[in-house]
Amino acid sequence: MGDRIGRVCVIGAGVMGAGIAAQVANAGVPVLLLDVAGEGPDRSAIAREAVARMVKAEPAPFMSKQAAGLVEIGNIEDDLTKVALCDWIVEAVVERLDVKQSLYARLETVRRPGSAISSNTSTIPLAKLVEGRSEAFVADFLITHFFNPPRYMRLLEVVSGPKTRPEVAAKVEAFADRAMGKRIVHAKDRPGFIANRIGTYWIQVAVNAAMDLGLTVEEADAIGGRPMGVPKTGIFGLIDLVGLDLMPLLQKSLGSSLAPDDPFHASLRTLQLVEKMIAEGHIGRKGKGGFYRINREKGGVREVIDLVTGEYRPEIKSVPPKGDLAALVATKGKIGEFAWGLLGRTLGYAAALVPEVAEDIVAIDDAMKLGYNWKFGPFELIDQLGTANFVRRLEQEGSAVPALLKLAGERSLYRVENGRRQYFGLDGEYHDIVRSEGVLLLEDIKLGSQPLLKNGSAALWNIGDGVTALEFTGKMNALDSDVMELIAKAIPLVQRHHKALIIYSDARNFSAGANLGFALFAVNIAAWGEIEKLVAAGQQAYKALKYAPFPVVAAPAGMALGGGCEILLHADAVQAHAETYIGLVETGVGLIPAWGGCGEMIDRWTHSGRLPKGPMPSVARIFEIVGTATVSKSAAEARDYLFLRDRDGITMNRDRLLADAKAKALSLAEGYVPPEASQYRLPGASGRVALRFAAERFHRLGLATDYDLIVSDTLAELLSGGSADLLDDVSEAELLALERQGFMARIRDGRSQVRIEHMLETGKPLRN
Amino acid sequence: MQLYQAPLRDMRFVLHELHRDDGFGGLARFEQFTPDLLDAVLEEAGRLASEVLLPINASGDIEGCRIENGVVRTPAGFREAYDRFREGGWCALAADPRYGGQGLPEAVNKLFEEMICAANVSFSLYPGLTRGATIAIEGYGTEDLKNAYLPKLVEGRWSGTMCLTEAQCGTDLGLLRTRAVPRQDGSYGVTGSKIFISAGEHDLTENIVHLVLARLPDAPAGVKGISMFLVPKYLPNADGSLGPSNGVSCANIEHKMGIKASATCQLDFDDSTGWLLGRPHKGMEAMFTMMNSERVSVGIQGLGLGEAAYQGAVAYARDRLQGRSLAGSRRPDLPADPIIVHPDVRRMLMTMRAYNEGCRAIAGWVARAIDAERHSADAETVRRAGDFVALMTPVVKALFTDLGFETANLGVQVYGGHGYIREHGMEQHVRDARIAMIYEGTNGIQALDLVGRKLGAHYGRYLRAFFHPVSNFIEANGQHPKLGGMVQALGQAFGALQLATATIARKGMKDPEEAGAAGTDYLRLIGLVAMGHVFAKAALIAVEKLEGGDPESPFYKAKLDTAAFFFDRILPGTMALFMAIKAGKESMMALDEAAF
Repeated sequence: MGDRIGRVCVIGAGVMGAGIAAQVANAGVPVLLLDVAGEGPDRSAIAREAVARMVKAEPAPFMSKQAAGLVEIGNIEDDLTKVALCDWIVEAVVERLDVKQSLYARLETVRRPGSAISSNTSTIPLAKLVEGRSEAFVADFLITHFFNPPRYMRLLEVVSGPKTRPEVAAKVEAFADRAMGKRIVHAKDRPGFIANRIGTYWIQVAVNAAMDLGLTVEEADAIGGRPMGVPKTGIFGLIDLVGLDLMPLLQKSLGSSLAPDDPFHASLRTLQLVEKMIAEGHIGRKGKGGFYRINREKGGVREVIDLVTGEYRPEIKSVPPKGDLAALVATKGKIGEFAWGLLGRTLGYAAALVPEVAEDIVAIDDAMKLGYNWKFGPFELIDQLGTANFVRRLEQEGSAVPALLKLAGERSLYRVENGRRQYFGLDGEYHDIVRSEGVLLLEDIKLGSQPLLKNGSAALWNIGDGVTALEFTGKMNALDSDVMELIAKAIPLVQRHHKALIIYSDARNFSAGANLGFALFAVNIAAWGEIEKLVAAGQQAYKALKYAPFPVVAAPAGMALGGGCEILLHADAVQAHAETYIGLVETGVGLIPAWGGCGEMIDRWTHSGRLPKGPMPSVARIFEIVGTATVSKSAAEARDYLFLRDRDGITMNRDRLLADAKAKALSLAEGYVPPEASQYRLPGASGRVALRFAAERFHRLGLATDYDLIVSDTLAELLSGGSADLLDDVSEAELLALERQGFMARIRDGRSQVRIEHMLETGKPLRN
Repeated sequence: MQLYQAPLRDMRFVLHELHRDDGFGGLARFEQFTPDLLDAVLEEAGRLASEVLLPINASGDIEGCRIENGVVRTPAGFREAYDRFREGGWCALAADPRYGGQGLPEAVNKLFEEMICAANVSFSLYPGLTRGATIAIEGYGTEDLKNAYLPKLVEGRWSGTMCLTEAQCGTDLGLLRTRAVPRQDGSYGVTGSKIFISAGEHDLTENIVHLVLARLPDAPAGVKGISMFLVPKYLPNADGSLGPSNGVSCANIEHKMGIKASATCQLDFDDSTGWLLGRPHKGMEAMFTMMNSERVSVGIQGLGLGEAAYQGAVAYARDRLQGRSLAGSRRPDLPADPIIVHPDVRRMLMTMRAYNEGCRAIAGWVARAIDAERHSADAETVRRAGDFVALMTPVVKALFTDLGFETANLGVQVYGGHGYIREHGMEQHVRDARIAMIYEGTNGIQALDLVGRKLGAHYGRYLRAFFHPVSNFIEANGQHPKLGGMVQALGQAFGALQLATATIARKGMKDPEEAGAAGTDYLRLIGLVAMGHVFAKAALIAVEKLEGGDPESPFYKAKLDTAAFFFDRILPGTMALFMAIKAGKESMMALDEAAF
């Protein structure tokens, strides 16, 4: 059989199975989703309903409408033979050995030889799953353990059995990596694999410690959350998210299969409070609330359960302690005791699991970072505490010191040597962390080189083969005059010595746009000249990118909003991570796009061929997209708004984004010709009237405020070409001047200023 | 002999003409007070200042307060003056009508305060602190406390104090030790020792109501563990009559450089009964309500003394004959020309005049904002007015008291040797003015408040309330045919202020010491720009009036001349301040501590 996966079957249309199927479809690959046959006339009802649910769900499992169309539904009674057409069969049925085994027996008869079969089990050992199967089946079988939700969680734990053919595993891994965007972590065939084994233990230890020390839920989450690099929901918040009812199931399943001397057992307690909460339906966010709840009867106040009395009471915000981790665990009193109690046990447990659950510490750190969204893995946390300090404290309290840590002694678990990051191995030596082929990270490049240019908000790096990367480095990657200055400096440098430029950042979000805090301060001190200068500088920098004598490829991931979107619009091509959320959101804060974004959108829509000819249809469409601050919910959806064009690429695996962008840039470099300056034919005054009419309809329906009307009128004036006549061509420079003029009018308005301030202080738009 | 006549014409200008377009709504909302009525109040207040308070100013300074067996006696004439003050209803002038106040606008009250301070700043402290205490009780007291205390305070039968400072804690209230222990009946037993308590003990009122900062038994350390308590000298009975003494005793009064007729007391509280004002541990909040109001009033003290010094200096400069004018003799009939002909004497007089008129105009602006914040029905106006008051409070306090001291000093200088002796009363102004730069937060603390708490708050929102009107004014009037030059000069100074603001915001975010090093210069810079703004506005009005041939043209002509002097001679100081701010902290912090 070929090593390509062109069609997939997922069996089991529960949350996980359906989500896995959706992610396969997101990769553009047809997928068959089967579940048991229903009783009624629609025998595929279960799978059909699963897909229907997903189309409506938020956050959406599908990246686009087209993706939803790639899912074929069926049931295992009538459609199992279709499995023969599939290159990979993912089993995601109920966590019962007998059910899985009998399904495998049936699959054996219908599947195509050589097709891969994997189970999404989270607890059952591989050896048990394949009991009684043919050798050929066993050779094609592995465990692929996805995390919920499968679209958004980047971890995939893969367990190969002793008889699994390496090429089968390689095929599945390559597909999961490149097409589904997962980072593969190889786990051993041990209960709970890596992330859930450590994560479950961590949660139990935290709950026990909080109760023993008499901490409140808020206090425990304040200490066990951000200071440790854990999402700010904290641990109790995480339990609410996962569901309290799942806790006993996971505990039971893990507890029954782990060795009797595993510390896991000691962490298990019967918690009457939790049992009571489950019995009363307080199972977390999917139920009537959990440790936290929103009390709607009391006007939506957030309440928290008192761990002693079991009664809800209003939340008492707890401020996370400041300072580094070492200081935190050394803090006297409950805070320090809780921090150490949690870290000492959890990290010690993780350290004792090498090599039981994974070959090296990198796999464990990756699993916790990508599977539990920890900012740092357990071994990175130990390095923050200092290996020697950590061991000394374990010894002081009479805890067992894991062999790995004894071996490390005074040495750190990670180090940088000759510009390469290395990890400490069980052999007592350091080893390079080797990235998969086609994985390029700026953080690796930075270890071994100096930037070509750098200032407070941006840097330019040489990423090899004649390609440079411009990185945003300011707080939240905000765009400011420093970024524009660096762009202006980078262009002649790249022209002289390099072939292409990529705009990229390793950060979670590409850029949410201009530095609004800076802008608001400038507004408040009435520095109108400075603001207009910054608008002009941004326009010049972006146009300079557009007309640079070399290709510019933007490679966004996460949010690319406002000015962060406009820079994409000026690039020759975009290579976007699949999870990129693009939009011109300026109207949300009472402004309009003014770094050339409006003109570029007009250009795109006019030449798209998607709309009837003439200036009005394009302008009306852009008016709608920009006027409502539309943000695409994925890179795929961004094509609908022409934030991305056909020539732009999408990379599913975040780790591969920079390498893909680099390849794209090099492919454009040969014989590159910069684009010609645009001329616009705009609808003029009559167009403006039509746009205003549309906006007023919104206003009448109560969908737009009075000030929304004024903002959209500024936008309408710009998009219709100001005082232009239908017969005049409007030059790029004229349109930029209109952008500046409209922007300044709006930012000088007190109502826009209130919107900006509200956005900065609350993170939410104000509808004034 | 000290002189003082309330500058009623300029006060009416500030009250009725200058700020009509400030966007704060103005006096119209006080419809029961017609302009004529307000003018009459001011006139009457001026008479009170000149006829009742001024005559006991120098004598009070010489005699000072005395303490005998814990009883403090104010100087001769103070009790009688206070009785007239109270009986005239002056204690109640700006207070809430619900508690017997007259509810006059703050815009009028600040002018009244200026007169009282000009005539007798020691005296002003007795009713002044009562006003602060009234505001705190209005804001944080229970209904019972309000009903029991406010009418008496508003009437002036009882007076108030602010008890913050202790021997080990001045600026840093986190070090405070006074304790408050809850009792069964909901009251607290307050024990501790306070120093520097103005009007802490005296013989002017029947009772004294102390607002005391203290710690509850479970209080967190530092300023987050401070609560405020109301502790009367005598516990009132249910019917309002005075009950037993409450264990508050005055151990001593301070011997001070100035304001000698104001009793500055060391107070001991011995399990004195008190009631909590506001929430436990949130005393700083209540304290700041009172303190912010006091800070503006302390600024007014500087202005008042500046005006008194100016009037004294002008009289002397007209009268004193020395030398001949450099341009040739002006009064050949006399043995010498009056010294007012000499440029350097003019320099001093014009500087004093410009500072006084500038500060009075700023005070009027801030007072109108205080009125708007209290009374406007429009939420946006309340917010903007509150922002403006928050920004300008440290400016008014520090700028006015710095300039008031400078003006008082110039007053001595105009008199030469006769200023340095007691007889003319000019040196008393210097001594009396000195304290205002120190108490209610030293002027250094005001500068820190400005750059640390006000400048960056809400992304600079407080600044907006000042910068936007100034910027709009410059944009609108930069091309004015007669005053274009003045407005452009203002524009330049404003530009320097914008740059300095952005610089401090940028540097201060990374390094708070940079903000600290810039604070005092920055406060003066923003103060001078504010003064430039009000002078330019005044000049605009004056030019219109003069063109229209107003019968009061001498007043407007003088206003225009004073504005011109300000723009030529004082506003350019903004450039030096800008250069100093730009230089940053380096040379300020470089010298080794050991080398001092």
